[in-house]
Amino acid sequence: MLKKHIRIFFEKAGLETTVQDLGRSDYLAYGVPQSGAMDKFAYRIANHLLDNPINTPVLEITYLAPNILIEGDCQIALTGANLSPKLNGKTLPMYEAVNIQESAKLSFGNIQNGCRTYLAIRGNWLLEQHLGSCSTLNNSKLGKAIQKGDELFVEPFARIPKRIFPKKFRPTYPEEVNIRVLPAPEFEDFDKQSIGFFFSQTYTISKESNRIGYRLQEVLPNFSPQTELISSATLPGTIQITSAGQAIVLLADAQTTGGYPRIAQVITADLDKFAQLKPNDKIRFQLVTWEEARRILSKKMSVLAFNLA
Amino acid sequence: MQIKPFGDSAILIAFEQEISLEINAKVNALHQAILKANLKGINTCIPAYASLTVLYNPLKISYSELSEKILNLDFSEEKTKNDLKTLRIPVCYEMPFALDLETLAQEKAISTEKIIEVHSSTVYQVFMLGFLPGFAYLGKLPEILNSSRKAKPRLKVPQGSVGLAGYQTGIYPCESPGGWQIIGRTPVPVFDRARENPFLFKQGEQVQFKPINLEEFYILEEKIKQGTFKIESLYA
Repeated sequence: MLKKHIRIFFEKAGLETTVQDLGRSDYLAYGVPQSGAMDKFAYRIANHLLDNPINTPVLEITYLAPNILIEGDCQIALTGANLSPKLNGKTLPMYEAVNIQESAKLSFGNIQNGCRTYLAIRGNWLLEQHLGSCSTLNNSKLGKAIQKGDELFVEPFARIPKRIFPKKFRPTYPEEVNIRVLPAPEFEDFDKQSIGFFFSQTYTISKESNRIGYRLQEVLPNFSPQTELISSATLPGTIQITSAGQAIVLLADAQTTGGYPRIAQVITADLDKFAQLKPNDKIRFQLVTWEEARRILSKKMSVLAFNLA
Repeated sequence: MQIKPFGDSAILIAFEQEISLEINAKVNALHQAILKANLKGINTCIPAYASLTVLYNPLKISYSELSEKILNLDFSEEKTKNDLKTLRIPVCYEMPFALDLETLAQEKAISTEKIIEVHSSTVYQVFMLGFLPGFAYLGKLPEILNSSRKAKPRLKVPQGSVGLAGYQTGIYPCESPGGWQIIGRTPVPVFDRARENPFLFKQGEQVQFKPINLEEFYILEEKIKQGTFKIESLYA
């Protein structure tokens, strides 16, 4: 028997609406960026609320949101940034599974907090995987960046009882955050003055910030770069310092190698925080130990494991 | 060989920081040895010119345990050369593809023919992949072809463009901004997500370029479009 597919139609595309899953990490040696949801914590919760398999695609909605028409009985869930979501004009609760009968219009309003919202739909997304993932990487024609008039289809799964993610574990996305880091390979090559500045400065997220990386406004004073480095690996969370002394935090879609000195590496658990930062938000870097980073990650994963069990 | 921390889930192993076949072969050998040792907790590796970055799961193995295991690996016996035959890539060094060839020849006070001859007679090694999916850094260029990057990078370098920068040469896998000096174009896609092996290049492999004329370029391009072209035919 042919099941009726859910149709997702984009009346307006939004600033940057992309299909994302956990990304692709098997091709880093071939120059393919990891990609995937910028905020993996919010991503995992969204799919869990609908009991979707791990690595099911979602829509990553960035700051200026799309208008979406959803046709077909289904269950959806929104997590991440609060962009005042509305279903048929009525406030749509986040962090819980919501039932849609026949069809509904999903729209958004003011930005309450954060920068990226995740829209999960219960079912099997009818999308082609590229290199083992549905994640979007625009410049290489991998995955799908949404444009006005696009439509996607999802094969629905049977309805499940409502799930809600506990309020006390929901992230709040303040506009000033502490980012914990560990040394990156060239950490020792920076002089005391530069290191001192890096850890005492309140940095501002610049407008030149996207899925590839975030540029920070403040520059290291009197920074004199060493001789050119031989290109070497970069990772999501690597903080490079350009020859002008500007810090760039590389993120999901960043290239896999680079030639700027790497001063620090954002701990894995804090990478999600960047997804929710927007231009003019403030950050401070704090150095932690490897053991602390591991403990923080383990704790974060246990929140997921416990509440997603 | 020096082991450096790289955040909570990566380790960088740095060799002598120079661009040379010998050092790059060591990177390749260590990479092979790590793959073979099948160490628990390792996710993947990123080889570069003179370093190897190993990504691991910190919930499965600690930094100190992993660095000790890597230090104890014996990779001196690993084959440092690839068994594969040399990859011969057809390149058309004519206009409208050879965007910077004429200027480059003038700057270097040599003929365009000389540039083509040297570029296509040298056997290169794939030092690493990066920048874009499938982009291979090939080296080393002979001194005579050593070129600075363009002062003003192009906003759009066409797919397949063959460029020079420093002692390196490479092919753009897709249209992209770029500052390399463009001397020709190949119709062969170096990255094609639909191909069984999407990547034409692999670290450690040997590569040479074969000059073709415009007519041959378009015939080959048509064959590729039709799906009658076989990648295997590029191996001599």
